[in-house]
Amino acid sequence: MNNIIEVEGLTKTFPPSARVVDGVSFKVGEGEIFSLLGPNGAGKTTTIRMLTTLSSISEGWMTVAGHDVTKDPGAVRALIGVVPQEVTVDNELKGVENMLLAAKLHHVPNAAARKRAAELMKLVELDQSANNRVATYSGGMKRRLQLVTALIHEPRILFLDEPTVGLDIQTRTKVWDYITELNRDRGLSIFMTTHYLEEADRLSDMVAIMDHGSIKVSGSPSDLKESLHGDVLTLTLEDGDKDLTEFLRSFPNVTEVSRSSSAYRLKLPRVETALPEIVTKIASKNLKITETSFSKPTLDQVFLEVTGRSMRDAQDANGHPNGDSHAVAHRSETR
Amino acid sequence: MITESLALGKRALTKWTRNPFAVIATSLQALFWLALFGNSFNPANAFAPSGGGSLGPLQQAFSGAPNYITYLTPGVIGIVALVGMSFMGVDLVFDRVNGYIDMLRAFPIPRTSIYFGGVVQNVAKGMVAAPIAFLLAIIVPNGLRFASGFGALNLLGIFATVALLTAVFSMFFTGMAILVKSTDSFFAAINFLTFPIMFTSTAFFPLSFFPGWLKPAAQANPISLASDAMRLLLVNGGLSSAQVSAFILDWAGLLTYGVVFALMGITMAKSALKAR
Repeated sequence: MNNIIEVEGLTKTFPPSARVVDGVSFKVGEGEIFSLLGPNGAGKTTTIRMLTTLSSISEGWMTVAGHDVTKDPGAVRALIGVVPQEVTVDNELKGVENMLLAAKLHHVPNAAARKRAAELMKLVELDQSANNRVATYSGGMKRRLQLVTALIHEPRILFLDEPTVGLDIQTRTKVWDYITELNRDRGLSIFMTTHYLEEADRLSDMVAIMDHGSIKVSGSPSDLKESLHGDVLTLTLEDGDKDLTEFLRSFPNVTEVSRSSSAYRLKLPRVETALPEIVTKIASKNLKITETSFSKPTLDQVFLEVTGRSMRDAQDANGHPNGDSHAVAHRSETR
Repeated sequence: MITESLALGKRALTKWTRNPFAVIATSLQALFWLALFGNSFNPANAFAPSGGGSLGPLQQAFSGAPNYITYLTPGVIGIVALVGMSFMGVDLVFDRVNGYIDMLRAFPIPRTSIYFGGVVQNVAKGMVAAPIAFLLAIIVPNGLRFASGFGALNLLGIFATVALLTAVFSMFFTGMAILVKSTDSFFAAINFLTFPIMFTSTAFFPLSFFPGWLKPAAQANPISLASDAMRLLLVNGGLSSAQVSAFILDWAGLLTYGVVFALMGITMAKSALKAR
């Protein structure tokens, strides 16, 4: 697979000495969805701004679609679509007028622009509202319009900076569907930043976890989660006096057992297949289980593993509201 | 660059046609200047109370205008251009604050087209305001009186001068708008600049009224250059060769401002919009 983005040692320093991006390196394969996941203030937006030619770099180098971003920004701009974090569609123009203006600025011939605008607006279910002023659109409709406006010139790679921030869960899910569809059906490479764990997990082929300006770990979401070596099963027993740690450790595939009074935390690869046997053996010892719960590994746990704190704590530490990410993290944990 | 500038100019004009209040309000400023200031502060009232608006012995000092509002009209058109262009620059400041300019920076377009897009739309809006001011000057009491021999060419010359003056101010204020980072700074700057420009011009009084130390500034003021050129066409039906030379000199001055402000604007746009 060819790499559509290559980044090596990318650093951004703001005077006098704040290194907001610190020696970041990664590659994005053509046709992939690549997510930069991290809390607010991790350096994600600065990274995407450098990749999209909006910010200069302090050190390192990067190429997008084979062009050096610093040396040939014009060629990069012609091949990329950018959806910034802010809603930047013009409220006073109609939906279709926003798209046609973007087409004009990309030198798309009028007839082709009209055809593509109609097709893209249909894709995101805005065809009925195409001739309405954007001021009458909901927040979700504006986001969808912004998404397809960035596609009017058929870019090779789409950059999305926090594409669903501020959207309700239904609209967020729709945007996820469109992103998946664009990637699957059109082979569009997508680079996005997000602080939503579920978003990165669900959409991405590759995830890089970023914190304090540097990439802590990267890989496919499943590889990252598997790197935690398994699911976590928590059993609470009626008789808390007896120590069953060694007994539980003797089960096949259990890699780790820890005890907190009458509760035992077991780490094992696939809890759903091992659970019946564990329950049966515990019952055979005349012990009663009062509570059982298990969790699959999440990207939040990966974040915890590599940074020493969870994403939600990181959000709090940065002083940003994180109600949405709490909700997403919670859902993710209980999947 | 032309295609992109026109596309961005068209965007602003489309928005304006859906919400023309700002331009209409700016144009109606002319009504207050002409009907209220033009009648109340009419020098003919001070020096020839029975004159009924005629300048009488002051006529020569007032470029030979038959009444004060005829003298004042080109000045008011210049002021409308100044105020209109200064405030219309704020659209660009809002675009910058709202992230629209940043979005445009990710397009494969010359940075200068963002600047010239602003200039194009402001000049177009300004050219709507000028005829409104001109019509209002005709209908206000003691209003504009045309010289005998005033024809289509004179009118064309007047509107060409307005277009040039509007472009001059637009290039200046659009450059400023692209440079400042907040609406507060922009409004502070235009409030600081517009009054001195207005009152050091020959919009209200002829050059001979100014003290010696202020005359060079008044003479070089773009509003003075434009209003003097327009007055030549308004007060005289046909121009003598001396008047043609004066007209050309005024235009040369305006063109110089245009070139200087365009170069400044391009430099500011390139500096303000480059990746940092």
